[in-house]
Amino acid sequence: MSDVPAIEVLDLQKSFGENHAVQGVSFDVKQGEIFSLLGPNGAGKTTTISMLSCLLRPNNGDARVMGHSIRSDSTGVKSVLGVVPQDIALYEDLTARENLSFWGKMYGLRGSKLKLRVDEVLDVIGLRDRANERVGKYSGGMKRRVNIGVALLHKPKVIYMDEPTVGIDPQSRRNILDSVVKLKDEGMTVLYTTHYMEEAQELSDHIGIMDHGKLIACGTGEELVKLVGQQTRIDLTLNGDGSNVMQMWQAIDGVSRVSAEDGLVSVLVADSNLVLPHLFEAAAQLSIRITSVDIREPNLEAVFLHLTGRALRD
Amino acid sequence: MKVFDIALKDLTRSFRSTFAVVFMLGVPLLVTGMFYFMFGNIASEGGFSLPKTKVVIANLDEGGPKFQVNPKNIPGGKKADTMGDLIVSILQSEDMADLIEVALVTSAESARTAVDSQNAQVAIIIPANFSHQFADVDGEAVIEFYQDPTLTIGPAIMRAILNRFMDGMAGVKIAVNVFLDEADSSKYVFAGQVVQLYLKDSLAESDDPAEELLDVRTPANGQNNEAEESQNLMLNIIGSIMGGMMVFYAYFTGASTAQSILREEEEHTLPRLFTTPTSQATILTGKFLSVFMTVFVQVIVLLIAARLIFGIQWGGILSVALMAAGIIFSASSFGIFLNSFLKNSKQGGVLFGGGLTVTGMMGMIKIFAMNSAIANKMGDTISLLVPQGWAIRGLMQSMNGEPTVSVLITLLASLVWSVTFFVIGVWRFNRRYV
Repeated sequence: MSDVPAIEVLDLQKSFGENHAVQGVSFDVKQGEIFSLLGPNGAGKTTTISMLSCLLRPNNGDARVMGHSIRSDSTGVKSVLGVVPQDIALYEDLTARENLSFWGKMYGLRGSKLKLRVDEVLDVIGLRDRANERVGKYSGGMKRRVNIGVALLHKPKVIYMDEPTVGIDPQSRRNILDSVVKLKDEGMTVLYTTHYMEEAQELSDHIGIMDHGKLIACGTGEELVKLVGQQTRIDLTLNGDGSNVMQMWQAIDGVSRVSAEDGLVSVLVADSNLVLPHLFEAAAQLSIRITSVDIREPNLEAVFLHLTGRALRD
Repeated sequence: MKVFDIALKDLTRSFRSTFAVVFMLGVPLLVTGMFYFMFGNIASEGGFSLPKTKVVIANLDEGGPKFQVNPKNIPGGKKADTMGDLIVSILQSEDMADLIEVALVTSAESARTAVDSQNAQVAIIIPANFSHQFADVDGEAVIEFYQDPTLTIGPAIMRAILNRFMDGMAGVKIAVNVFLDEADSSKYVFAGQVVQLYLKDSLAESDDPAEELLDVRTPANGQNNEAEESQNLMLNIIGSIMGGMMVFYAYFTGASTAQSILREEEEHTLPRLFTTPTSQATILTGKFLSVFMTVFVQVIVLLIAARLIFGIQWGGILSVALMAAGIIFSASSFGIFLNSFLKNSKQGGVLFGGGLTVTGMMGMIKIFAMNSAIANKMGDTISLLVPQGWAIRGLMQSMNGEPTVSVLITLLASLVWSVTFFVIGVWRFNRRYV
C-alpha cells in the first residue's frame, strides 16, 4: 500500500445560490482506513460526498481519489470508486441478482467474471438464497444490504457510504457495521458519513466533524476527545425555569460550560464526583428541583457540544 | 454495449409491469374488439350486421322480347315482364331484405330528388330501353346509379350488389344471343326460359347472396378501378379504429417510457448511474433507445395481434414497415420531447392526460370523420397539425393500398417531426444533467 492518500480533499467549496453548503473543506484519508464524516443533518456531508463522487462540480477547490482529480479525471475517479448512496438506489421490479448483474455491467464486468462476482457479493450480503426475489419485496434492511452490495461488485479501492444505517432495524445495522469493518480488513478505504456518534466512534480510524458546511475538527477519536479536555458531560432535567440556576452553576469551580436546549441542561465538568453535589446545592437554594441526571464520560457528542454549543442530535 | 444494457433493463421493467402491458397492448385491442362486436356482431351471428341502405328505384323499362319468366324461379317470386322488373324483383327479394330497403318511384327525377333530399342513400334509374338494349346483340344496357356523395358504406354495398347482378346479366346476355343466333324465330319465345335457367343456376350457387355480396370489394380511393382491389369494407373500418388506437396508445407508451428518466432520478438510480464509469451520453442514449424499443415491441405486437384476431389487412409489407417506422419514431421522440419539459414525474399525469389526449384525438379526427366527405376533408387538415395525424395518415395510406412512395413521403414528414422533437428533447435532458 503506497503512501499516496486514498482521498485528498483540498479547499472544496459548493454553493446553491445563497446557500453555502460546503465552505472550504480539506482533509486526507489514508489508504485502507475508515474515515467518518460526522455531523448533523444539513452539515454538508452528502454534498461533500456528491462532489467526491463527481455528481456535483465544486465551485472551488479540488479532490483526488487514488490520484485521480475529480475535476479533470472523473472517469478515473469513478473506476476506483464504489458509492453507497444515502437513499436506496435499486430497481425494485428487478430481482437482487438482476440488479447486481445490471450494475456490474455498468462497472464494466461481463460474462463469467460478472456472474462470479454477483454470486460472491450475494454471499457477502447474505442474500444468495433470496437472490431471485424482486427487491421490492425485501425488507428495508435487506434492501440496504443489496444497496451496499452494488458498490462492492467491481472491488473498488475506495468506497463511499453515505449514512447507510438510516432507518433500519438494529440487527441490520449491526450487519452493516460489521461489513464495513470487513471491507477495511480486505484493504478498502472507506469514507463513511453518519450523524450517529456511536457509529463514528466504533468504526473510524479518523473522524472529521462537519457543521454548517465547514470541517470544524478532524483527527482520531482520542484526539477529538482531548479537545474538550477529557471533560465529563452532566445532562440534567429541571422542573422550572433554569436560567438563574445555570448562572450559579457556571460560577462553580470545575464547571467549564453550561448550556441548555429543549429543557435539558448540559454541564461540562472536569470531575463529576466533585461538582455534582454543588449543582444540587445551588438548585436547592433557588428551590429548583432536579428531576433527572445523566452523567456522560467524554465522547464525540461532547466534542460536538464543545465546538458548536449544540448537541449533535440537533 | 452499455447502451443496450440500459435499454434492455428498461424494456424488461416496462414489460414486467402488468399495468403497462395491459395499457400498451390490452387496451387498444380491447377497444377495437368492442367496436368489432358492435359493428359486426360476429360472436353471436357469425356475420356483419349493418344498417339498411335506403334505395329508391325508378324502373322506366318499357320491355323488349317477351321472356315468359316463371315467377317461382325469380328471387322474390314476382312477375317480371322486363329486365327492369327482374332487377326490381331481385332487389326486393328476402335475401336482400337485411341489406337494403327498396322504394319505387315513377320518374328519374323523383328518384334523384329522394337522394338529394336525403330520403334515400341511393337511386337506381333503369332506362326505358334497358330490356331492348339487353336483347340487342350490339346494344349496351346501362343503369344510372345516383348516390349521396357524403356517404360511403351504403352506396358501396349497393354498387357491389348491382355489379354482381350486372356481371350475371352479362353472362345471360351472351347465352341469349347465342340462343337467338341458333334458334329460328318461332323459338324466340323461349329466350325468357334461357334467362330464367341461367339466373336459377347462378343464384343457386350461393347459400347466402347477401354475405357473398359483402365480400365484393369496394373500389380503392373512391375510384371504380377493379385492378386496385380494395379491402373488405367492415374490416377497413375496424382496421382504421385499430390503427387509431395503436397510434393513440403508442404515443402514450412513448411518453410513459420516456418518463422513466424522471422516475430514475426520483428513485435515485439515475444519480447512482452517474457515479459509475459510464458517460452521461451513454446513459441517456440507453434511456432513449429503451423508449424506441418499447414502442417498437408494442407496435409490432399490435400489428400482428390485430391481423390474427380481427383479420385486418395493414397493406403491403414495405408500406407497413414504413408506416410502423413513422409511428415508432414519432411516438418515441414526442415522448422524450414532452418529458424534457417536466420537473418531475408527477407533472406527467397532467401533461399526458391533457396534451396527449387532445393531440391524439386531433390526430384521429380523420378516422371519426371517415363517413362524411366534408368532415373527412376538414379532419384531414386538422389531424396534420399534430404528429399523430401524420402517423395515422401513413397508416391509412398503407391500408388503402396507396403507392409505397406516398407512404414514404408521409414517413419523411413524420421523421421531420421526430427529428425536431428528438433534438429538442435530447438537448434539454443533456442540459439538465450536465
